[in-house]
Formats: sequence, structure tokens, C-alpha cells
Amino acid sequence: MTLAVFLPFLLSALAAWLGPRLGRRIGYVAALAFLPALLLALPLAGMPGAVPALEVTRWVPDLGLNLAFRGDGFSLLFAVLIGVIGTLASLYSVAYLSDRERFGRFYAYLLLFGGSMLGLVLSDNLIALFGFWEMTSVTSFLLIGLWHTRAAARDGAVKAFLVSALGGLGLLAAVSLISLAGNSTTLSGLDVAALRASPLFTPALLLTLLAAFTKSAQLPFHLWLPTAMEAPTPVSAFLHSATMVKAGVVLVAKFGLLFGTSPLWSGIIVPLGLATLVWGAWLALRQTDLKALLAYSTVSQLGLLMSLYGLAGAEGNFAGTAHLLNHAAFKAALFFVVGIIDHETGTREIPLLGGLRRALPVTFGVALLAALSMAGLPPLGGFISKELFYEAMLHQGPLFIVVAVAGSALTFAYTFRLLRVFLGLPRAPQGAHPHEAPPGLTLPAAGLAGAALLFGVWPASAEALTRTAQAALNFAEYREHLALWHGVTPALLATGLTWALGAGLVWQAGRVGALQRRLTPRVNANTAYYALLEGVNVFAAWLIARTQGLALPDQLRVMLAAAAVIAGYAVLRAPQVFHPFGTLPLGVLPIAALLVAGAVGVLLARNRLTAVVVTGLTGFGSAAAFLALRAPDLALTQLLVEAVTVILFLLAFRYLPGGRDLKRSRWRLRLDVGLAALAGVGATLLVLSSVRFLAPPISPYYLVNSYAGGGGKNVVNVLLVDFRGFDTLGEVTVVGMVALAVLALVRLGKRGRTATAPEALPPEGLPPEGLTPTPPARHKEPA
Amino acid sequence: MSPRRKKPAPVPLTGDSPTTAPLGNDPILRSVSRAAFALVLLFAFLLLWRGHNAPGGGFIAGLMTVGALILHRMATGTSALHVDPLRLVPWGLALAFLTGLVPYLLGRPFLKSAYGYLTTPLTGEFEWASALLFDFGVYLVVVGGSLAIAYALIDVDPQERVEGDE
Repeated sequence: MTLAVFLPFLLSALAAWLGPRLGRRIGYVAALAFLPALLLALPLAGMPGAVPALEVTRWVPDLGLNLAFRGDGFSLLFAVLIGVIGTLASLYSVAYLSDRERFGRFYAYLLLFGGSMLGLVLSDNLIALFGFWEMTSVTSFLLIGLWHTRAAARDGAVKAFLVSALGGLGLLAAVSLISLAGNSTTLSGLDVAALRASPLFTPALLLTLLAAFTKSAQLPFHLWLPTAMEAPTPVSAFLHSATMVKAGVVLVAKFGLLFGTSPLWSGIIVPLGLATLVWGAWLALRQTDLKALLAYSTVSQLGLLMSLYGLAGAEGNFAGTAHLLNHAAFKAALFFVVGIIDHETGTREIPLLGGLRRALPVTFGVALLAALSMAGLPPLGGFISKELFYEAMLHQGPLFIVVAVAGSALTFAYTFRLLRVFLGLPRAPQGAHPHEAPPGLTLPAAGLAGAALLFGVWPASAEALTRTAQAALNFAEYREHLALWHGVTPALLATGLTWALGAGLVWQAGRVGALQRRLTPRVNANTAYYALLEGVNVFAAWLIARTQGLALPDQLRVMLAAAAVIAGYAVLRAPQVFHPFGTLPLGVLPIAALLVAGAVGVLLARNRLTAVVVTGLTGFGSAAAFLALRAPDLALTQLLVEAVTVILFLLAFRYLPGGRDLKRSRWRLRLDVGLAALAGVGATLLVLSSVRFLAPPISPYYLVNSYAGGGGKNVVNVLLVDFRGFDTLGEVTVVGMVALAVLALVRLGKRGRTATAPEALPPEGLPPEGLTPTPPARHKEPA
Repeated sequence: MSPRRKKPAPVPLTGDSPTTAPLGNDPILRSVSRAAFALVLLFAFLLLWRGHNAPGGGFIAGLMTVGALILHRMATGTSALHVDPLRLVPWGLALAFLTGLVPYLLGRPFLKSAYGYLTTPLTGEFEWASALLFDFGVYLVVVGGSLAIAYALIDVDPQERVEGDE
């Protein structure tokens, strides 16, 4: 399992490197990455009874952070699903993508995404689960924005990322609360009783729901999924059918074991899922773009899955898992079909297309099977899982089944709208001569449609797969069987009603369309999203103008005042903490006088240069103090920092106007003196109050251990590079980042055509331009 | 950013402003700096080398090297460092990180340093420590970062005006 998760990551790096060399053939390598995931199907065979496998890789065990992968029936089933669709998407892309595509980048992203998704479903460690969850957000951002030159792709990527990152934050909070309340960071090791009794239970539940709803595009977060179709079609198939969006469903299914006892859980998820089912289907019916139609259909189907898993009972989990399989099969197949249509005709607009069954007979067959499964017609898998869905909703109450039937009738209607491009008179945009697609495109779609058919005509196959999840999701007692014919049940009657309603909708398509246009709300999730985004921008601009529009001296004044107030408050709140801190060597006193003199001198200086030099007095004075206190390392550092600071100061002064005296009124001088004194007193008090020897000092430990443990006689250096090396690593990273920031400010701050031509100046003291040897270009841009 | 500066050091347009004194055409500074540069650099390496056992270390050595390089740059107008200083930063970070990673991969704490003693006829007993590599990474980052800032400040002509400037 560990291999199954990590191989895609490894091959992703390889793909990025091989991409420019192998071109589109890299797709075959990419498909190999999912091989271990496919092999996970083997343990599935004996699953309902078998004990889940657990593989742990230690990472930071002190924090409870390990990579623990747990192969229970549900996780493995999902992993295999990801493997199958991932492999098919990789192979399909080989034939689908144009020659101009950057294959290395595309497959690297695709594999990263697949790996994160596998990690997400298999992970048993909650923190790692969150990590993988966020990685799916980031990688899907990259995938959706793959064609980043298009504004729509950028918008879609940003939207998807913002919405799912919001949920990701919710998940982070949720897993923290869960692991606190449940005393474990692993899902299988949680103390469920303690979690249920904890006051953190309800917040954790709500935060989990936020994460699940944003990821699975439930109302009102459904807005990101349709715009995510800006990704290349194979990516959409992968994202929409098997993986990304179902992450929320996985979360609900798995965490249902923890939260399912709460009435809040089902009480929120089921109604919201059903609402999403109806609203998504209603919106899907309005779309003219095939892919948009499928995207809204995914929203709707995810609502269905959510409502089933949200029941957190045997019936819901069984039906949900069955529908999960069916949905993955028919939705991926339909995306592949849309890709073929797009590839062959150059458009995805439904009004421009018609009669494609003549030109694309094989594709038509595939589309028919998949679409009828989506509409829930026998003898296909979708029919069976829809019966189970109705059965479950019938047990919930009359209102639930009414909504469910309404949603399914709309599903029926938009399925036929989708199929209309194959029916009627042949119609295609000018210049397009659609003919059957190459096998690289049709075979993956046909395989998936075949699976949809198989699940219908041989329900035992789907049942065997569904049963594997039962132990994992705790529904061992469920005795229902999958079958096409149960006899005349209320569910069958509801299905009959659905077909009648759906047929009515298809028959009256014109009027329904007119009604939909009339009912279009002025405000929808998208307008709200853009209004919110705009609002954040306006607010940020306002805040920056208010807080950072000050001149630099004023900003410093604010900071100093704040430091004084905060330090004073801290000391005021805890006045008892002053402690004697030993005796000061007398030799330090003159140095202290020097330091104070330097500080006062800066205030009195009338000119910048003087001010800098006098500031240097305090710096070098501190160095002297360090020396007097026998800290040569610190003194050396201070000296050099001071020297470099003075140089940088003087260089920066070249930008400031002339050597004029500083303008400084009397009251301003007083203000500055007062502020400086206050801040200084505050800082001193803070330091004094923190010098308390409540615990034994740590320095003897280092003195004893630095030679034995780090092999160095210089304790400070051993401390920096060994005991606290990680700190140092962080600090030098900061140094690097500061350098980048300063460079950006200095160099890129001035963009545009220069008004005075600097090249006209005589280059004094420099060798002529032509004589300077140019070093060989090391950095080569990838083609 | 090109490794060698493309633009000459800024030279005053009119000369009436003392803050834009030319950098790099003072003969005395130029001749003195040669010797000073070499000495300072040597001392910096010494600091780096002995840092583990006596006052010194990557950070200090880095700052000292920066001082020497800035001096050289101011005196002669050319950079003694033949690469873009900013490029040292990722290399330094990578080196520091890798010295930490190796013990981790060997199952010991991250950044746990290893050390030992070698005896060669030339130097006598001599201590080696993986911490020196880490320190060298720190050194590279400090040199690269500080020098990049300094060069950027030197490179830009303060007299230059861009369209839209007020």
C-alpha cells in the first residue's frame, strides 16, 4: 500500500524529467504508476472476513505523525477505483492531448494528484490524511489551471482552490479536535467513546462537514465544480468520476463511524445532499455545453451519494457503495465520450450537434450504455443502485422520497438531453468531419461502459465489490442483495413515477427550458463568490491604505509605541516576577554609558550620516559589552553585523536626497525621545522579568554535552549547528528570503522606460563592456 | 540577473550631490583593497574552519566574506565573485538541508552531526565534523543573501528616473 501511494509520486518526478524527451509516450509510463494500486484488488477478494492490513512508516513519531496506511475493504475498493480510472485517464490522454501539450508537466501533475488521492483514501493517520487532502487541492489547482493562458482556466483553478482550501482548514481543525478528544492520531486507534462524550464532538462534526461539503461540491459550495471543467477532459474524468470530488464522500463514509450516532450528522447531510441532488440536476438541464452538463450532473450525483452515506447506517452505506461504483463507471465513461465528441467535431455545444450516431457508432453505443446507467434504466448498474437509493429514502419519510424522485426525474431528463447529440439529423460545425475516434480514445470509455452494463446484468459482481466495504463501514448485518428484480416494491413504483415524470420533462423540453430561463435567480452562488472575492480585495486595499500608507518613521513610531504598551502591560500583569540576576562586572559600566550616549546621540544628530555613525556606537558598544561578558562569538557576530549594516545603510543613502539637515521640529523630537524611552523601559522591564531562575538554567547541560555530543569545543557553534541546527536552518532560509524580497523591492520596483539614459554615461574605472568574459550559460530553460 | 554586472557603477550626473559619490575610481582605495581583500578573505575562511572549536562559524565567516567582497566591489567596480550571488542561496540551503537529511535517513535525529578524528602526518590529529558542511551551507546562504542585497543597492543608479516617478 505504501508503494501504491508513493510510486505515483516517484514516477511523477520521473515524468517531469522524461516528459520533454519521450513526448506523449510518457503516458504509458504514467499508467504504470497505478499498477500497485490495481494490485490492491487482490486482497479485496477475501475482504469481508479478512483483517485490514496496516502498514506504518515512521515519520515524526514524537508528534504522532506517521504514514499509516490501512487497507480495509472500503479504502482498498476506493484505491482500486482510483487506480483503474487513473490508468484509463493516463492512456486516454496519450491519444487525446495535442502535440503542443507539455506532456512532462501534465503527467507529473496527474500522477501527483493520483498519489495524493491514494494517500487520502488509504491513510489511517489523521494528520497525514489532512496532508493528502490538501495535496489533492493543490494538485487539482495545477491540473485545472493547466492551460493557464486561458482566463477561464485560471479562474476555475483559483475558485476550486479557494473553496476546497476553506474546507481544508476546516478539516485541519476537525482532525486536531478529533485527535485531542479521541486521544489518538490514527483513525483506527481513536477512543470513540471518549470522543462522543467530549464537548469537542459537535465542533469537530461541523468542521468535518464543512470539509466534506466543500470538497464534494455540495450546496452552497457547488460553484467550483462546473468551472473545474476547464481542465483537459481526461483530467475532468479523473477528478469528477473517481477521485477529487469523492474525497468528501469518503470523509463522510469513514467519519460516519465516529459521528453517525449524532442526529446532527444525518440531519444535516441527508437534506443537504438531497437538495444538492435536485438543484444540481436542475442546473444540469439548463446547460448547453456537454461538459458543463456532466459537471452539474456530478454535483447532483454527489448529493445522492452524500445523502446515502450521511444516513450512517447499514442500508445507506450499502446503497452508497453500490452507487459509488456505478457512478465512477458511467461518469468517467461519459467524460471520455464527451472528449471524443470534442476531439472529432471541435465543439461541445449541444445546439450545434446532432445525429452523431451515424459518424460515431461505437461512441454512440458506449454513450448509450453509460447514459442509461446514469438515468437509472434497466438492465444497467445505475438502475439497481437507484432502487436501493429509493428504498433507503422511503424508510426516511414521504418528503425525502418526493425530493429523491424529483431529482431523479430531472436526471432522466438531462440524460436524454445529453443523448440528443447522437439523435436526429446529422449536424456538426462547418469544416468538421467527425469519424470514429482511434481506439486509444474509445477503448477506455468502452471498458467503463462495459462495467456499467456488467454491474446491471450480473449484479453479483457489483454486490461482491460492495460487500467488501461492509466490515470497514460497519454494516455487517445488512442482508439485502443486489438484483434487477425484487418484485413490485414501493421503490419500483417510485421508479415508474420517475420515468413518467422524466419522459414528461423530455417531451415538454421547450417549455421546461422557458420556465428555467424565467426562474433564473439574479443572485446565485457564483455571484456571491465574486462579490465576496471583490469585497475581500476592497477590504484589503482599505486596510493597507490605512495601516501601511504611513511614512516609514511614523510606522516605526507606531511599532515602538506598541512595543512599549505590550511590554508594559505584560510586566504590569505579572509584577511579582522580578528576580535578582546575579552581579554585574564593574567593567561593563563604562560600556553601558557608551551605549546610552550613542542612543541619545542619535536623537541629537542633525544629519543622516551622523545619525548612522552614532548608531554604530551602540552597535559596537554592544559588541564590547559581549566581549566584557566573555562571549567572543557574540561579539564577533555583532561587530560584523554592525559593519555590514553600516555599509548597507550608506549604500541606501545614495537614494535619499542630499546631505541636508534632518527636518525636525521640537515637539517631534520630544515625541521621539518619549517613545524611545518608553519602548526602552518596556523592553528592559520585560527582559528583567524574564530573567528568572525558576527552573535550573540549561547552559550547564550544553557546556557538558557540547564536546561529547557534538564534538566541538565552541559551545555556541555546536549549539547552532547541532543541538539547535533546525533553528539555524530556518534562520538561513529567512536570510535567503529577505534577500529575495529586498532584490524585488530595489530592482523590480522601478519598471518602465528610463527617462534618463544611463548608458550614455562614461563607464569610468571599469573595463570596457566587450572585454568582460561572459560565463557560460548554465541555466537552460526546458524546451 | 547576469553574473557580471551589465551596467556600469553609477556615476554622478552633475556632481552637486555628495550622496552619489562615484564608487570605484579611487586609486588609493584600489591598491589598498587588494591586500586587504585577500587578508580578510583568508581570515574569513579561518573563522569558518575553526568555528567548531573556537569563536567563529558560518554566519560570522559569511559576513566577513561579504565585507571583503563589498570592499573589492567598491574599490574596483567589478565583482570578485564570478557567479550571481543569489545563486549561492539555494545551493547553501540545499547543502545545509542535505547534511541534516542524511542522518535522518540513517535513522538518527534530523541534523544529528557526526564527527571523528583523523591523523595525517602533515597536520597531526585533526577533527572532522559533518557540522562543518552544515556551517558551509550557512556560510553560502549568508554570503549570497547579503551580497545580493548589497549589489542590488550598488547596481541601481539613484539618479535614474522612470516614467511615472513623482
